[in-house]
Amino acid sequence: MSLYAQEENIQTSDSLVIKHKYGLRVGVDASKLVRTFLETDYSAIEFNADYRFTDRLYIAAEIGNEERTTSTDYLNSTAKGTYLKAGIDYNMYDNWAGMENMVYSGLRFGISNFNQTLNSYTIYDTNNSTWGQTEVLEGENFKDLSATWLELVFGFKAEVINNLFVGINVQIKGRLSETQPDNFENIYIPGFGRTFDSGNFGVGFGYNISYLIPLIKKAKK
Amino acid sequence: MKKFICLFLIVIFSCEKDDICPETTQTTPRFVIEFYDLTNPDEILSVPGLYALGLDSEGLQVPINNEIVTTRSSITLPLKTNGSETEFMLYKSYDIVDGITSGNPDRIKITYNTENVYVSRACAYKTNFDIQTFAITTDTDQWMIGSEILITEITNENDIHVKILH
Repeated sequence: MSLYAQEENIQTSDSLVIKHKYGLRVGVDASKLVRTFLETDYSAIEFNADYRFTDRLYIAAEIGNEERTTSTDYLNSTAKGTYLKAGIDYNMYDNWAGMENMVYSGLRFGISNFNQTLNSYTIYDTNNSTWGQTEVLEGENFKDLSATWLELVFGFKAEVINNLFVGINVQIKGRLSETQPDNFENIYIPGFGRTFDSGNFGVGFGYNISYLIPLIKKAKK
Repeated sequence: MKKFICLFLIVIFSCEKDDICPETTQTTPRFVIEFYDLTNPDEILSVPGLYALGLDSEGLQVPINNEIVTTRSSITLPLKTNGSETEFMLYKSYDIVDGITSGNPDRIKITYNTENVYVSRACAYKTNFDIQTFAITTDTDQWMIGSEILITEITNENDIHVKILH
């Protein structure tokens, strides 16, 4: 016990001052770029930024554009639009001297403006064995749709080379509001992701590459 | 963090049911007929050996899935979702002996408007029908004598849409 206390005393009395980098970090979501190349029914780009406000607190935002075609056995629709997410990240990780890594949780408010096109659908008829299935091909475009949501973010960011960070995060979302198309519904909401019949929740993930523009250096208290 | 991972997994695995349309959900409804006594029009009267067949646009008989010869007082029939009329042959006392069909067939025709209504992500769209006309084709030994449209809007199978007197 006494030995332990002594060690701590030695550390605190050590007068080495650790300085942390404060600044604006900007980046892109690499997973969205990769999926844009690999998947024919998806294209998206997302830019992200955060600004260190205190030792552990960051102001963070993402802005993006996403287009996604959803195809099920009975429905085919395309959602396309722009979204903005803004909020905070809280760094839970105690860095060693000189390191700037993050294991964080965050909160975002998200808003999306989009349109949705119903490309085709097949009438759901459990008794279609007599007369066959009916497929409706006429497209309908629903414009000026919007949605808002709250998002919990969990992730990490690691500085791989000086000022360059890579990070992974997952998001759990709860929808606050949305405008629904007439005689249809929002199947996919850009920025929010796919919707579910059973509730207002959603999930998402990101793989970010970002660069820190250091503006000031501050000593840790 | 552990709590979060658990929550995340629950969210992922609970998603699956959203992609399957539940059997309890009313999707495209069928057309329901109930049979009443001609001499006492308020009394339900069963039809012995009732059997239905669909008739396509060329008048050829089309079997209906799950349709079997039974004595019953009501029948549920699928309508064409891609047209505005459907015809059926309704047999009374239907029987097949040594390949020879016996019984009394009467022909019915329903004309309607359709409306495709969105149900859900998994069930997509269903077709509702709005009955315009219902007619029994006249023949020399008709067993269905009169009919009445009770409900024109076919939106579920709990309603009786047409009443037939025999």
